[in-house]
Amino acid sequence: MNVTAASTPVSPTFMSRWRTAQPWLGTLVRLGLAAVWLAAGGAKVGDLAGSGRAVNAYDVMPYDLAKVIGAALPFVELALGVLLVVGLATRLAAGVSAALLVVFIAGITQAWARGLQIDCGCFGSGGQLAAGQSPTYGPEILRDLGFLVLAGFLLIWPLTRLSIDSWLEKK
Amino acid sequence: MSSRAGQKQASRAVRDYIAREKRRTRTLWATIAAVAVLVIAGLIGWGVVASQNSGGFTPPPGAVENGTGIKVGSGPVQIDIYEDFICPVCGQFEQQTGGTIDQLVAQGKAAAVYHPVAFLDRASSTDYSTRSSAASGAAAEGGKFREYAKALFAQQPAEGSAGLSDDQLIQIGRSVGLGDAFAQAVRDGKYKPWTAHVTDAASGDRVNGTPTVRVNGKDVQPTTQAIQAAVG
Repeated sequence: MNVTAASTPVSPTFMSRWRTAQPWLGTLVRLGLAAVWLAAGGAKVGDLAGSGRAVNAYDVMPYDLAKVIGAALPFVELALGVLLVVGLATRLAAGVSAALLVVFIAGITQAWARGLQIDCGCFGSGGQLAAGQSPTYGPEILRDLGFLVLAGFLLIWPLTRLSIDSWLEKK
Repeated sequence: MSSRAGQKQASRAVRDYIAREKRRTRTLWATIAAVAVLVIAGLIGWGVVASQNSGGFTPPPGAVENGTGIKVGSGPVQIDIYEDFICPVCGQFEQQTGGTIDQLVAQGKAAAVYHPVAFLDRASSTDYSTRSSAASGAAAEGGKFREYAKALFAQQPAEGSAGLSDDQLIQIGRSVGLGDAFAQAVRDGKYKPWTAHVTDAASGDRVNGTPTVRVNGKDVQPTTQAIQAAVG
């Protein structure tokens, strides 16, 4: 008795506010993650050979495979950005985003653990660092974890305002 | 009464069911469309790279057997030097250590193989890395690779600039005694496919940055002392 009496006055207002705010907050999150992918893909798409070299610098696969991955990745990133901008299959796009980010974090972590001196190549450039430059693996991983939180939000609440998904839902 | 209410309820249940099914179909199609977009995007990237691998290149005279660099001298120890003409650290390396390598070569202690890679095309607005590397191939054809490379580093453009123009590349060639054949080769981009081969081969050999120096195949710090010690 006591428990319900104490909790009921707080939770309905909070829940109803959350229910109103969440789809709009979701729109911000969706567009934020879209911007990340469009920036990342856009920075790499003009230099596909360089993108392949950046993948190669992680030293986890043969160069021929790194070339293919490095060439495909910018286009996939751009496509994810477009899907998120229009809000089509948001949960799928968020899931693929999360999977990619986990792979990126794993790649940076293994480079860190092995003492490689590379630039992550997340937003263009990449490859070995020049003498005197030190890697910034910590901040790079933290940044990717932040993006992972955005993807997680959309995995849990994929229906957001101003999206094709919500339009299809109402139809 | 009760049977009519029952009918109403049943028809609503059917309508709900149909609506749910319709929504499920729409979601399925949205998912299929999204997957198709992602797969096609990946295939585009793959296709672009596959089409770039034409493979046809002519190495300049003076190149090593597999065409991945220009060999200078014939000493028993091999020093491989991977440089990009717009890389500032490569410019410093050339200033500080280039003379030592020339000396080791002149003394017959070592052979130097220079790999003018184009890793940094994005560092200029005109693909200076590729153009300068291709020009150095043309200089090798004229028998003046080292002279030309040193002159290029002496007039190295800054990262983020437009780089030197083809005319300037030709002018620098004339200043080290290269003639009209060199100028024509630079204008035609004759050795650009060779540059692509040099760059690709370097990546395949796990060279991830410039300058990279290897003595008899082993990575060595790009400093005078380290190289002298490794050559022995």
